[in-house]
Amino acid sequence: MSTHVVGQNLRKVDGVKLVTGGAAFTDDIHLPGLLYGKILPSPHAHARIVRIDASRARALAGVHAVLTYKDVPRVPHTTAGQAWPEPSPYDTYLLDSKVRFVGDRVAAVAAETRAIAEKALGLIEVEYDVLPAVLDMEQAMAAGAPVIHDEPDSTGIHDRQRNIAGYILREIGNVEEGFRACDLVIEREFRTGRQQHCPLEPHISIAWLDADARLAIRTSTQVPYHARRQCAMILQIPVSRIHVVKPRIGGGFGGKQEMLLEDIAGALALATGRPVKIEYTREEEFYMARTRHPQILRMKMGAKRDGTIVASQLTVLATTGAYGSHSTTVQGNTGSKVLPMYRAGHMRFECHVVYTNTPVAGAFRGYGCPQGFFAQESVVDELAHELKMDPLEFRRRNAIRLGDIDRLSAQLGEGREGLPRVIRSCGLYQCLDRGAAAIGWAGKRQARPRRGRLKRGVGVACTMQGSGIAGIDWASAFLKMNEDGSFYLQAGASDVGGGADTVLAQIAAETLGVTLDKIVITSGDTDITPFDVGAYASSTTIISGGAVRKAAEKVRAQVLEVAARMLDAAPESLTGCANAVSAPGGKSVTMTDIAMQAMYKDKLQIMDGASHYNTDSPPPFSVTFAEVEVDTETGQVRVVHLVSAVDPGTAINPMQAEGQVEGAVAQGLGYALTEELLLDELGRPRNASFLDYKMFTAKDMPKVTTILAETDEPLGPYGAKSISEVPINGPAPAIANAIYHAVGIRIRKLPIRPEDVLRALRGAGC
Amino acid sequence: MFDQVDAYHRPRSIREAVRLLHAGGSRARIVAGGTDVIVQSDPSVRSLVDITQLGLSYIRKAGSTWAIGATTTMAELEDSAPIRGLAGGILARGAAACGSVQLRNMATLGGNLVNASPAADTAVPLLALDASVVLEGATGRRTLPLAEFFSAPGRTVLGKELLVEILVPAPPRGGRWGWSFLKLGRTRSDISLVSVAAGLQLDARGTCKRARIALGAVAPVPLRAAGAEAILAGQKPALARIAQACERVARDAVPISDVRAPAEYRREMARVLAARALRECAQQAGVRL
Amino acid sequence: MKKLTIRLTVNAESKEWSIAPGDLLLDVLRREGYFGVKRGCEKGECGACTVLVDGKPIDSCLMFAAQADGREVLTIEGLAHGGALDPLQEAFLDHGAVQCGYCTPGMILNAKALLEKNPNPSEREVRETLTGNFCRCTGYVKPVEAVLAAAKAYRRAR
Repeated sequence: MSTHVVGQNLRKVDGVKLVTGGAAFTDDIHLPGLLYGKILPSPHAHARIVRIDASRARALAGVHAVLTYKDVPRVPHTTAGQAWPEPSPYDTYLLDSKVRFVGDRVAAVAAETRAIAEKALGLIEVEYDVLPAVLDMEQAMAAGAPVIHDEPDSTGIHDRQRNIAGYILREIGNVEEGFRACDLVIEREFRTGRQQHCPLEPHISIAWLDADARLAIRTSTQVPYHARRQCAMILQIPVSRIHVVKPRIGGGFGGKQEMLLEDIAGALALATGRPVKIEYTREEEFYMARTRHPQILRMKMGAKRDGTIVASQLTVLATTGAYGSHSTTVQGNTGSKVLPMYRAGHMRFECHVVYTNTPVAGAFRGYGCPQGFFAQESVVDELAHELKMDPLEFRRRNAIRLGDIDRLSAQLGEGREGLPRVIRSCGLYQCLDRGAAAIGWAGKRQARPRRGRLKRGVGVACTMQGSGIAGIDWASAFLKMNEDGSFYLQAGASDVGGGADTVLAQIAAETLGVTLDKIVITSGDTDITPFDVGAYASSTTIISGGAVRKAAEKVRAQVLEVAARMLDAAPESLTGCANAVSAPGGKSVTMTDIAMQAMYKDKLQIMDGASHYNTDSPPPFSVTFAEVEVDTETGQVRVVHLVSAVDPGTAINPMQAEGQVEGAVAQGLGYALTEELLLDELGRPRNASFLDYKMFTAKDMPKVTTILAETDEPLGPYGAKSISEVPINGPAPAIANAIYHAVGIRIRKLPIRPEDVLRALRGAGC
Repeated sequence: MFDQVDAYHRPRSIREAVRLLHAGGSRARIVAGGTDVIVQSDPSVRSLVDITQLGLSYIRKAGSTWAIGATTTMAELEDSAPIRGLAGGILARGAAACGSVQLRNMATLGGNLVNASPAADTAVPLLALDASVVLEGATGRRTLPLAEFFSAPGRTVLGKELLVEILVPAPPRGGRWGWSFLKLGRTRSDISLVSVAAGLQLDARGTCKRARIALGAVAPVPLRAAGAEAILAGQKPALARIAQACERVARDAVPISDVRAPAEYRREMARVLAARALRECAQQAGVRL
Repeated sequence: MKKLTIRLTVNAESKEWSIAPGDLLLDVLRREGYFGVKRGCEKGECGACTVLVDGKPIDSCLMFAAQADGREVLTIEGLAHGGALDPLQEAFLDHGAVQCGYCTPGMILNAKALLEKNPNPSEREVRETLTGNFCRCTGYVKPVEAVLAAAKAYRRAR
């Protein structure tokens, strides 16, 4: 189908505001009477608060409130931004008498200035009964390990005595039989690190009581509706008395798929009767927000000599940190999105997710897939090598195909029984072919090893993701027409910077037959926009976009009904785009004409809305190729070229889609080579700053080639699937595989640091 | 952050600056670029003494010595034609390695030296160039070799004094000099986990007259590798001899393990980088190895 | 608390502000309504707070407001010329170099200073400059393209 707005590289609808520094983000307002809120973080990894006395802090001039666990209701909840009933344990409290990681909330203050708030924190007297802490996930389940969640009112914990937040076991076929039938079986262990989102805008929430004494919360969030529901529950006020507004967001990447500061800001606003702002410093953002789940993965895969993969098994131990937000769902993805990449008849996934007294893990772009694909794609590479098959050929032979049914997904939904996934669009093979050409695969795989200390190699990784959570993610949108032929689009969706507002507006414009400038979009405001689960699970284009398309189709029908009367023609006979509607024979009316007719003659407001969800989650595919250069004297790995070939379905805005790929690749590069939040033996962060936690900067980036291998997905608006997460899955395994090709060593932990490479090279006698 | 600061002074003379330093005691801080003072965020600071109006931003030649004013910025050093031409540009490269464009527009050479990081990218080339620092206090001026200026990580011998000038003698004449400055970081704009500045002066017969090897981030202070230098002096810089000198570099290094790198990796990289730097020096000085 | 008065030019307008001696330029600018100057790390690492002072890009989180006395400051709000966007702003929009937009003001200003000094930078020089502006959204691919495109546009206009 040819489209006029969808598929065009149009400028972001909020672009001008962003390039001119318009007051668009949460902190970009002056509120009279604004107080500065601050959280007192625990200095201990595990302790009970024996005594807490805030009287000196309260007495400090300029302090308006100090809250401890004695001052707030005790409501068990999860901070995870998930559809209710959330599959994460309800193990978190607004403020508690026990602290479970260095950085956990002890108390909160609101004061006239930041300086007074900081001073007040120092005046809160706390006596701790320091408890033994467990920082290592392998020790957390052992007999005698301290029990982190011994409180009786928490629910949804799999086995609290053994610190097991969640446990997953799923099997298709019989892997024991499957492995017996194999000619070659490889089993390897992998370890992945604690990556932090590092959004350029740290978490920030501002709460106040509006003129109707409703609690207004202006916040940097991916999940305004979940935040509203959770705050209602925690603060014990009705949902209708809370108004959450999501302005422009300075990056989220999953870290803001969380109700993180809204509750405490709200509690302080209620306690003081004044607006209260809480914003994390960069240091707090590193260890008091969320991180990726560290995992230990044992990947076992078996194949026949002819290269057919027969059985695959993934056993995972993960830690969710001190609280269980996203604990089973992230890890569920490590199984459900990873194993089905290859058509093994037997698959098994088993996972323990444990608590440790460490910073809390949560949602992070890729959501369990980066860990799983690092393990799987490394083992697949090793298998191919052992079988003396080209790694691409081996993947082509075994990878999932159009028409396949993925039954493992059926077992692993968002914490409950999911729905089987049918592959209705598959650009994987185009990605393999086009990506291989772009990196120069054939030539570089044959190339003789260079002499000298610099050695080059190329590697590949095949990955997929999902597009929305089947049967659970849902969205709604509302459209109304204005006199000038424009439309206000009210979408619950959360644009966190990736351009969702623009994509949704393009879908609306396409469906309505208008140009993009005729759509004005408001999103993520719980008073104005209808419900949307929020920006996660790569759901916005396909689910929110699906709702927008449906709503726009209904409104288009109303528009055509009016136009039909004006043109004296049947509605079905009308055509048009670019802000006009024509009848056969050539007569036409503009959208403005139609609007004026409807509003002032017919006395009709053209408007309608729709809700949408899918019962499947069509995977986008991404094949990543990496060329690396290893300095065998220093162990340093330089990525020379990274090719990311992605099948997003239709790219609604190709330029924005490429931007998503490139951003995900940069995060994947950091995950592979440089990023890791480190803790000391007492659970304290060692590198909670940009000085010490290294992301790839502009001059670190390799040459990046982005390829969009578009397909047409029947379940998505105009054929779209998703693109925002999948490209982050490939860089780490592609690089690990490229290192093997270059210097013959396999590194099975992330990040891959130069000293790791050097040690392996020396060990291998290089 | 600095809400307790009650005075921001802009003295017009060095004497006045020193007086303010005395008056403020341990709660006074010198501000040139301000970059380190602000990052340190010390809540005990009560007075700030801005020294950018003292005429200490200059790069000039006095005889065969370059005199650099203490408030000269990294950007000014990086862009200065004479500094780029001096000793293969190792000081310019050291300055260029500091942080970002934005940081280099503010950070000063004096500030970088007073901050006394063992990894300071200007200190290492300056040490290799036998630089000195000029300090001024209430009792007058004193000059001391940069090698005597650093006492511990983050500490110098500065009393209630101002670092006012850095003196960089032109390398001794004769033969050909080759210079190199190399650093390793986790990313391309990281604080060095190891850095080396080296210079080799070769006579007409290709024998090494002088060797200068300075290292960063492998000891409590930036270091001259005198032992390694002695191995090279008077010898032809053959690969085996260079390797021997670098073994000595590795032995004399006393690195620590931190978030950037483990100690053993640093020690090994000191050896590797020093070898690369010396080979580059030899090549620049016209020797084929 | 003893206040200080600073007199400076911001976006070609004369300003006279009363500040505390320890105030940082970032905080003062935002207090005075220049919301385009962003707070990202407060340690001079991320560059989100970049402004031009006497034409040079600096991290405003690392400058005392008192140091801006007598200087000319340019924030992103001052870049567009009477309603017309600067070629850099146009290029960023046309090339998809803006995603969340949080790093954008600082990045554009830093690039502006680069192009004033070096109208024909190489890609390597652009990357070196942009190293001082962290972006977690774009991977720097399109921002680098946009700066090179803007450089061409400036050269054509001359």
